[in-house]
Amino acid sequence: MSSENIRDVFKKSDLLLMGVCVVMAAGFIVLAGVSAAEAGNLLTIDSLFFTAVCLLLALTFVAVPALTMRLRGVRPFYVGDEVPPARAREHVHFEGGIKLFLNVLLGLLALTVVEVFLAYIHVPLTIMLTILIGLSLIKAAMIVAYFMHLRFERLSLVLTLIPTVVICICLLFIVFPDSFRAGSLRTTKTEAHPATEGAHAPEH
Amino acid sequence: MSTEAHVGRLPATEWDGGALPYRVGHRKLGMWLFIVSDAMTFSAMLIAYSYARVSSDAWPTPFPFYPSIIFSTTMTLFLLASSFTMVMAVRASAHNRLRAARRWIGATMLGGLTFLVLHSIEWQHLLHEGLRPFRLAGEWAERWPQAPPLFGASFFAITGLHMFHVLTGVLYLGGVALRIKKTRHEDVEISGLYWHFVDLVWMFVFPLIYLMSVDFTPGAGH
Repeated sequence: MSSENIRDVFKKSDLLLMGVCVVMAAGFIVLAGVSAAEAGNLLTIDSLFFTAVCLLLALTFVAVPALTMRLRGVRPFYVGDEVPPARAREHVHFEGGIKLFLNVLLGLLALTVVEVFLAYIHVPLTIMLTILIGLSLIKAAMIVAYFMHLRFERLSLVLTLIPTVVICICLLFIVFPDSFRAGSLRTTKTEAHPATEGAHAPEH
Repeated sequence: MSTEAHVGRLPATEWDGGALPYRVGHRKLGMWLFIVSDAMTFSAMLIAYSYARVSSDAWPTPFPFYPSIIFSTTMTLFLLASSFTMVMAVRASAHNRLRAARRWIGATMLGGLTFLVLHSIEWQHLLHEGLRPFRLAGEWAERWPQAPPLFGASFFAITGLHMFHVLTGVLYLGGVALRIKKTRHEDVEISGLYWHFVDLVWMFVFPLIYLMSVDFTPGAGH
């Protein structure tokens, strides 16, 4: 059964009516979500009733265009086996098989488990931070290289993007050492400052 | 001699235009540049959070290993799995198997939605405890009296921006999945780039926000 174009089958007025139905259905779905969220506890008779009624109304509204299109042989979301012309002309450059991606995924999962394990045992904070940042950088590199395909792109793209990010993030760290000193620069209100008070005293 | 005739005799190199110097289309290059700028946004926020934390006398470490860390690890696993399904979608699209590509994108959206639902449950839990952007939860303020009230601000700002990215990504992928007949392969790949970037950001947010704030006090559900 081939899929027919929706604009060839229906008149403009039919399309408008179906559009209204879809909008109403979407509205009731939103209303169901709002009533479920507002209820606080979903598992009460009231909130279950209102959510169910909204969903039922949404179903009723969406059923009209769905059944009509099905009767007339229109399947707007159908994808056949034929390749669309825009794709057929395209030059596709893709490397990497399922095995490679599965290995990357397993590596990422393993590093995550190591990180969580470090959080389980009690590690001193600075060592913990160093290891976490190191592992996260490795994970980020794996994602960028394989999942985002950058390892298989031309070197000019890699050399444009990666140094930009690295240098800019390093520049953000310029003011960071101040945070180590901030504690010793701070004065607390409970401490008395005789020198300061003395200097201000004659003005009163 | 006119300029056009002169240009016509020049040897055509990659930098003359027309050819693609990066061997990617302009849309993909645009997405890469967006990702670079977004990476700077997130790193600025994470560095600001680290600055506030390091310069404070104390900082709350309120997340017990169970249930908080286990919960956020589950969220991480969903996001990682959705990254894998996205790469499978791009692969199916590269081989022009559109139906499979759409199914894989659907699985990716499901992973993203699960992440969103779990994360909003956690937000509700923290808000219920009394945590606000500029106020610590009552119990926390007693346990860490020296701590500034910035925990909520950093937590909600960083994870909130990330949640917004996930939500945008789910909607974007939905658009791509619906229009998969009309898209080109590169469009699917670009949406994949965005999704992997969202995953990548979480790889830094998760350790810095959650794993660095584990509650080690005895009796905290350890």
